[in-house]
Amino acid sequence: MPLLEIRDLSVRYGEIEAVRGVSFAVEPGEVVTLLGSNGAGKSTTLKAISGLVRPAGGDILFEGQSLLGLKPEAIVRRGLAHVPEGRRVFPGLTVRENIALGASNRSGLSKRVLRDEVEGMFELFPDIRRFGDALGWTLSGGQLQMVALARGLMAKPRILLLDEPSLGLAPVIVQAVFAIIAEVRRRGTTVLLVEQNARMGLSVADRGYVLETGRLVLSGAPETLWADDDIRAAYLGGRAKVAAEG
Amino acid sequence: MDLILQLLFTGIGIGSVYALVALGFVLIFRAANVVNFAQGEFSMVAAFLMVVFAVDLGWPYWLSILLTLGGMALLGALFNLGVYYPLRHRTYLPVIISTIGASIFLANTTLALYGPQPQVLPPVFEGQGFLVGPVFLDSQYLLIIAVTAALVAFQYWFFEHTLVGKKLQATSQDKEMAALLGIPVAGMIMLTFVYSAVLGGIAGILVAPVLFVSIQMGATIALKAFAATIIGGFGDVAGAIVGGLALGVIETFGAAYVSVPYKDAFAFIVLVIFLVLRPQGLFGERVAEKA
Repeated sequence: MPLLEIRDLSVRYGEIEAVRGVSFAVEPGEVVTLLGSNGAGKSTTLKAISGLVRPAGGDILFEGQSLLGLKPEAIVRRGLAHVPEGRRVFPGLTVRENIALGASNRSGLSKRVLRDEVEGMFELFPDIRRFGDALGWTLSGGQLQMVALARGLMAKPRILLLDEPSLGLAPVIVQAVFAIIAEVRRRGTTVLLVEQNARMGLSVADRGYVLETGRLVLSGAPETLWADDDIRAAYLGGRAKVAAEG
Repeated sequence: MDLILQLLFTGIGIGSVYALVALGFVLIFRAANVVNFAQGEFSMVAAFLMVVFAVDLGWPYWLSILLTLGGMALLGALFNLGVYYPLRHRTYLPVIISTIGASIFLANTTLALYGPQPQVLPPVFEGQGFLVGPVFLDSQYLLIIAVTAALVAFQYWFFEHTLVGKKLQATSQDKEMAALLGIPVAGMIMLTFVYSAVLGGIAGILVAPVLFVSIQMGATIALKAFAATIIGGFGDVAGAIVGGLALGVIETFGAAYVSVPYKDAFAFIVLVIFLVLRPQGLFGERVAEKA
């Protein structure tokens, strides 16, 4: 049974149909990447899964059970953590506090365990350790992305939904973020990744899906997607670039 | 010099009441992103409840306070469910109109039940107060200052050193993200309304023996507290306290040295000066950074 299964999902914003009949599945332990350009419906799909938007049709199954109608609070308690686009680190709270709040979906944690787990996150994200007591708004984009990832992992999710973790980051920071995603995956957390940066998105993925104006147009292993000329032209940085590198 | 100290004491005393009501404004503003125009009515309702329990029914003062604060907590919860919750997904405007409606409703319900006569609530302590050097410390003003200081200290501890306090802060900064982390957003907002109603109630209980207990007291206090929040920087907790205290002191000195009939005008003169010269308030920058 897939860990997460999306069946014929549609989402409307008023008159606009942002997601139209999308179906895909994520197996336990996989990293699956949703690719597509701006407005293709990637973020909307993630928001529907985590309960931020209400689907117009279709179903979302997590471990075989429908998530439809559940509030975001209830969905994260089941083990789906969503790290949204733009990091959304609380600006007026410190890095430590931000990370600690990531465990809000787990009840009955003692203060001591919580503190130890936050310290544990700094092992995985050593770059932000020295900013532990800094307020969120003082951090750079890359640091914010690290905090957002650490906060997402504090939920001990069965599946982590990552929306555009590379957006607006310098290439060297993007590399660091993806190294962490690879490490998260190595530790056994399933990841559903949304990316515009197809090159990076596919580098850590087992499988990829390509969305275009709300529809799934292609799916397959990273090699398969790389091999498709049209896809390469449209989403993977263009023919010229690929040819130059090849 | 003696007079200055005396006025300072009185000003800080009355300013403490403005600060408490202003805190209620700020907490609800931060949690729900709306200005609660019924905040002053919380003080008015609490003052009338005190009159009913302690004067009309003749129950002990401490019991009356407990019952009044219990009633205020209930009112805060009902207020949240009836005035804010149904409109929570709308813009701020319908919610503001809703709180103005609630304010009119509370004032007129009290008027219908109790009539237009101003009431008198005796002070907590029998003694009038005592002299420290040349300054007469009125016992009611001392109580107001002490309770306000204790509440501010409690609130600081609660928001900065408890997990629930952090969750409340997270909710006020980004509700959608808070929900994604599993923080019960509706519960946090409920808690904020209950606490703000109790804060307003405490302000009402404290100030009632100093003023007459009247239907209009809510609007008067709310306007001063609103001015205090703008002077302090809207949305800033420290700003609300400093703004409230400053306003109390300014209007007390203004009444003593300039004009008694214009006592209530000083708050608004200061408000206008701030709106023109420093609209972000004393502590405004930090709010901008949070936005």
